[in-house]
Amino acid sequence: MMNNSFAQPMWSNGPSPGQFYNFMGGNAPTQLPRELTTAGPFGTKHSTAAITTGSSVVGIKFDGGVLVAADTLVSYGSLARYQDIQRVFKINNNILLGGSGDFADIQSIKRNIDQKMIEDQCYNDGVIMKPGELASWLTRVLYNRRSRMNPLYIDVVVGGVDETGKPFLGNVDMRGRAYNDYVVATGFGRHLALPLVRERKPKDRDFTFEEATNLIRESMKVLYYRDTRSIPQYTVGICTAADCSIKGPFKVEENWTFAETVKGY
Amino acid sequence: MNCLGVEQFPDYKVPGVQHVDFSPYESNGGSIVAIAGEDFVVIAADTRLSSGYSIHSRDQSKLFKMSPKTVLGSTGCWCDTLSLTGLVKVRMQMYEHTHMKTMSTDAVAQMLSIVMYNRRFFPYYVSNILAGLDKDGKGAVYSYDPIGHCERATYRAGGTAGALLQPVLDNQIGYKNQNLPADQLPPLTKERAVAVASDTFISAAERDIYTGDSVLINIITKDGVEERKLQLRKD
Amino acid sequence: MALAEICKISNASYMKPAAWTSTEVENELNAFTSNIANPYTLAAPPFENPLENLNKIQANASNSGVKINFDHGTTTLGFKYQGGVILAVDSRATGGQYIGSQSMKKIVEINQFLLGTLAGGAADCVYWDRVLAKECRLHELRNKERISVAAASKIMANIAHEYKGMGLSMGMMLAGYDKRGPGLYYVDSEGSRTPGNVFSVGSGSIYAFGVLDSGYHWDLKDTEAQELGRRAIYHATFRDAYSGGIVRVYHMTPNGWIKISETDCMELHYKYKEQNKAK
Repeated sequence: MMNNSFAQPMWSNGPSPGQFYNFMGGNAPTQLPRELTTAGPFGTKHSTAAITTGSSVVGIKFDGGVLVAADTLVSYGSLARYQDIQRVFKINNNILLGGSGDFADIQSIKRNIDQKMIEDQCYNDGVIMKPGELASWLTRVLYNRRSRMNPLYIDVVVGGVDETGKPFLGNVDMRGRAYNDYVVATGFGRHLALPLVRERKPKDRDFTFEEATNLIRESMKVLYYRDTRSIPQYTVGICTAADCSIKGPFKVEENWTFAETVKGY
Repeated sequence: MNCLGVEQFPDYKVPGVQHVDFSPYESNGGSIVAIAGEDFVVIAADTRLSSGYSIHSRDQSKLFKMSPKTVLGSTGCWCDTLSLTGLVKVRMQMYEHTHMKTMSTDAVAQMLSIVMYNRRFFPYYVSNILAGLDKDGKGAVYSYDPIGHCERATYRAGGTAGALLQPVLDNQIGYKNQNLPADQLPPLTKERAVAVASDTFISAAERDIYTGDSVLINIITKDGVEERKLQLRKD
Repeated sequence: MALAEICKISNASYMKPAAWTSTEVENELNAFTSNIANPYTLAAPPFENPLENLNKIQANASNSGVKINFDHGTTTLGFKYQGGVILAVDSRATGGQYIGSQSMKKIVEINQFLLGTLAGGAADCVYWDRVLAKECRLHELRNKERISVAAASKIMANIAHEYKGMGLSMGMMLAGYDKRGPGLYYVDSEGSRTPGNVFSVGSGSIYAFGVLDSGYHWDLKDTEAQELGRRAIYHATFRDAYSGGIVRVYHMTPNGWIKISETDCMELHYKYKEQNKAK
């Protein structure tokens, strides 16, 4: 038994009708994890949807670091429920994490990561986690959850710099699909911010810090204009070899005069 | 922990929330072509990573260098690809530590088949093609079905444009259009293999939405793996 | 803290770090490569009744373009006669509508005195034939004599029965030569195992049977028997869309198996046409 201090409900290990009683001692039936025992669409049932959700996260790599930005909204269905929650986290001096999807799942995974960081510090061996390692770890956690048909409904952006100051930017989704690129976005940002940033990419070099900040500003503006699950306030995580911190919250520079020219509704 | 089960709560009914049955699989696209010659083997894969109509990355290598003589190309569900190749790499390292030698291409091919069959009842959704030099230094190509059926061939196309590319190879490499006896087939040069592989990808980029951006070509000879890159359509 | 200790609340699952630890990595590695050490342990699916539920997942995922097609066989046949056992097979492997291969080896050489034919799921047959090969070799080492065809086929039937209802798809013939003479058994994924003189398995089997039954008798000469098998497979490749490629003929003799021929069925088509003209 997992925990003796919680009183068992009466007849907790009793047989179902038509079955035989198994005595506790000796060969108690091993209880399967709940996810393997409850009936559902493919035979088993798990959480079927994200309820409290964060929308897009946008990450851009520049020469010497990364920027990760997300607005501060956590929605409850179509309700703009929590309007001042940061969705970009500083994990350690090398890593930024931007989370979208089910916010409960993000908080849960964040707790696990924080625990890992504490362990990391306790070792005090001079080795600290790099963004690539965190991304790899996330793929294993998420892939295993999906393989048990009990996924964490999240889509995260991992950014940061490694020990040589080389920037890293990657994305891990709820199935454990992962890739690195110079620009990464989740949610609506995938449709709105990605093309915007890709269009500005110089062929032969990385973005500069200036260019990257301008692109973040513009992406967040476009996202606010067109994503119904967003608000005009966002935070930006900046990670370079010298500094890793969350800046903001910033306001989107709203300008709705263009609305008069929109036709067709 | 029986006291706090999800079942105890009524189903959340929140306006605007979509309840969908979770699908563990996703098709992330991509194609692979491998062509074996007498003392070399060429394997190529495009670098587009997409799902549905959106392109996640235009520069994602789908070729995994397993050893100096073996390269694995893998497409399909990208998370399965990552897990499977990771698993095989670890097993190869374990082999190296126990036997004090690198796994041969033939052995990797067999092991990959077994590791894939392990997930017989919940398969890896991947299209694998393994290319390398065999024990005699000859080029070898192995192709797989999702549950690990493995067959050695001299040329093979796989992935989303596999059915589009294989007939081209049948013509250009297998000379199936010419009805030649086996001993009269013209010998295949490395340059021609690379040229045909590049051409097939240019064609695939024209007709398959999941193939494009650029193609990575690995040429494996006894001297090692040479890598080349060719730009494709980006639309 | 003390209260937590007394309550043993820190033993509760939700109090333990759920982070992916190195132990779990090791467990994953062991779980997903378990069959390297022990071929009988396959990863359990995260849902019950994989036969039904895997199909549901596929149906659900079909809008995203996910379609898992396993390679399938085919036409195979085998018959006993006075000179031993003849096995003949085609070489086409199909994944759905697509011809995955025209050169598949559908006769598995388990050892010098045992052959297996392969119909249904290619991976299933090849994998379990390989396991069978290992078991047969172990039998030889333990008992200092070769395993009988009856025993070998029973191992296979036991394996099939173990996984019955899980969705394996196999229809195989095991042919061999032992103390009792030529042996031929049919084993399938439903767990059935039947000895017999004439079998044909696969989608093209009906066509093969037509030819085979009309030409078969016990006293066939070796060349006649081999030709009968070849011709039967050829006719199956002609009429059955799922069969084709190369016609392979194997002969199991008292001294072990011999590969008789591997002929492209196109070649056979024109050869038989000529012969018909000559008549």
